[in-house]
Amino acid sequence: MANLKDIKRRMHSVESTMQITKAMELVASSKLRKAKERAENVKPFFEATYKLMAEIASEDRYFDSQYVHKRTDQSAVLLIVIAGDRGLAGGFNANVFRLAQARIDEVRNSGGNVVVMPIGQKAVDYFANKEIKILKAYDHVAEHMNIYLAMDMADLIIRTYQRHASLQSVELIFTNYVSPILQVAQKMEVIPLEELSGTDSRRCAVEYEPSPEAVFEKLVPRYVASLLYGAVVESFASEQASRRTAMENATDNATEMIDQLSLLYNRARQGAITQEITEIVGGASAQQ
Amino acid sequence: MNTFRLVILTPDKILFDDQAIQVTARTTEGDVGILAAHIRYVAMLQTSALTVKLPDSTYKQAAIAGGVLKVSDEKVSIMVTAAEWADEIDPNWAERSRQDAMAKIEAFQNEPDRLERANLKLQRALNRLRISGHGIK
Repeated sequence: MANLKDIKRRMHSVESTMQITKAMELVASSKLRKAKERAENVKPFFEATYKLMAEIASEDRYFDSQYVHKRTDQSAVLLIVIAGDRGLAGGFNANVFRLAQARIDEVRNSGGNVVVMPIGQKAVDYFANKEIKILKAYDHVAEHMNIYLAMDMADLIIRTYQRHASLQSVELIFTNYVSPILQVAQKMEVIPLEELSGTDSRRCAVEYEPSPEAVFEKLVPRYVASLLYGAVVESFASEQASRRTAMENATDNATEMIDQLSLLYNRARQGAITQEITEIVGGASAQQ
Repeated sequence: MNTFRLVILTPDKILFDDQAIQVTARTTEGDVGILAAHIRYVAMLQTSALTVKLPDSTYKQAAIAGGVLKVSDEKVSIMVTAAEWADEIDPNWAERSRQDAMAKIEAFQNEPDRLERANLKLQRALNRLRISGHGIK
């Protein structure tokens, strides 16, 4: 028969854990609401910027830009990895790192080199003890992400791409927020801008000031900035959603455990009482 | 007067999506005024004031940070990094960010990249102060 005191102690420990998971669940859901709103708000801006670039690329037959050229003979990759600042969010961080690591291995196996730009404390930690070059690390930026920081990041990325002719591409790994219960880690190409010329190419006279190329070149940093901003905000929403689900499960498990333990406790208590009665009755009958 | 659909977008909100009679903005090439049925046109915008003439002929002014203006057949879109209506600007906040920018300019004299960013920040702060009516006259 289990010790009554031990069971009681375990019940207390599970209860206090449950209080923590419950609180984390509530915090995550309120942060999720805000983050989802921000992620939704950036979409029209991003889409409008992207559409305009696609139009410039498709309307002008002689259009040419350093950002659409594929550097096919090069093999180095700049990988931007967006993870969370904290753990306890289910598989959120692990999924991002699995995807990142797979890409790093792939590039290295084909003889290429990878430079990483980690965003989020967990990503910074993950790459800190790996043999890998870090361009610049950002931690604790996701919750209060703003467009100016995103523009700084975009500037750095674009300058790096221009200075290093050996860079084949700039790629981004973030977590796509599909629904409150589904978030998918994804990889996307930032530079070169592919598929731009794929949109309908009806030629129509548009006045560009000062010129289509100049407008395009100036749009690229803005596009990259809004892409980064959107990806950071969306990853943050995914992190919160993932944490909420994980904490919800933990709270459920704790409730179940407490139920089981209290059953065990009551049984043990009853057992102890029965034994005591048996002893008294036994003692009384022995005296007769 | 003919009106057209005007949309002002920033990364964190849609500032305006309604009919307007005219919009006046400062591009990198100079000031432009857009009326209904303007030809298709794209230009880069400076950190400046943006003036919208509403269908009731009243004017509304906004402080914008750099971006792009696009006129298409169906609408006029303005995509900017930041935009606030004149009456929504917090002058105290703008003043603080002006002082912050000044301090940064002092500190980053030897770092061209950061100096340039601090200069842009100062421009934005001054622009906001001017449009909110609290600027240095």
